[in-house]
Amino acid sequence: MADQATFADDAMQYLNQLFSVAQRLTGNRAEAEDLVQETYLNGFRAYGSFQEGTNLRAWLFKILQNNYKNALRTKSRRPVKFEPRDDEEIEEHYFMNRTTPEDVALDRMTDTMVKKAVDELPEAFREAVLLADVEGFSYAEIAEITEVPIGTVMSRIHRGRKSLQKTLYEYAVEQGLIATPANLGGGTL
Amino acid sequence: MTQPIDCGTALHELYEFLDGELTEEKRSAIEEHLDHCAPCDGARKFEGELRIVIADRCQEEVPDELVDRIKAAILLAKEQA
Ligand SMILES: [Zn+2]
Repeated sequence: MADQATFADDAMQYLNQLFSVAQRLTGNRAEAEDLVQETYLNGFRAYGSFQEGTNLRAWLFKILQNNYKNALRTKSRRPVKFEPRDDEEIEEHYFMNRTTPEDVALDRMTDTMVKKAVDELPEAFREAVLLADVEGFSYAEIAEITEVPIGTVMSRIHRGRKSLQKTLYEYAVEQGLIATPANLGGGTL
Repeated sequence: MTQPIDCGTALHELYEFLDGELTEEKRSAIEEHLDHCAPCDGARKFEGELRIVIADRCQEEVPDELVDRIKAAILLAKEQA
């Protein structure tokens, strides 16, 4: 049993992480703020049922995820592309197979580029990739947070990363961050 | 004795390796391969670097007013309780 009186002290340290993920889930700052505030309020109200010593960060992310799902269901102002329409097969390590660390200025990839690429992922993949790559949750934790079997989590992370890499690679080529794109073929120079 | 791992397997399991999701036996077998195979080691570094960039670029700065709003909302809920 956790003590409601200490909720703010215990939970506020995760605000930055929750807000970062909320921003990418909603794609909108005002909605992200509302989502995070609602998460904290629900967390406060339910804190009595939180088992002390278990994972508070995952518990909060689960509330966030639930609230987000509910908001999606009720609003549906935009078409929800939860799973991708056509399951195009993207090869593994798409980005890396086309370049090398020496030929790509990864550190010059901007916030805007990366966020845009993440935003383009279908809902379920975006969620899984954010929880794994940005928040560093384990597969088991992500399964618990998103309430899907661990095999589904693994498949979403895997396919999400492949898709993200392809988009990022295309942006990197567009922005001239890759010195020698290997897939341009031809060798015109 | 661990089974020797070929490049295809090492690359296919690279995400699970980087995610820390392999059994100790599998993990050390993959690591053994990565440590002795330059192209696969390059892949490990590349994927690791890319992940750091992705995580870093997705960090959002929390607006001060959001912190205040949340604290106020919790305070209000406390009073109402
Ligand atoms: Zn190899």
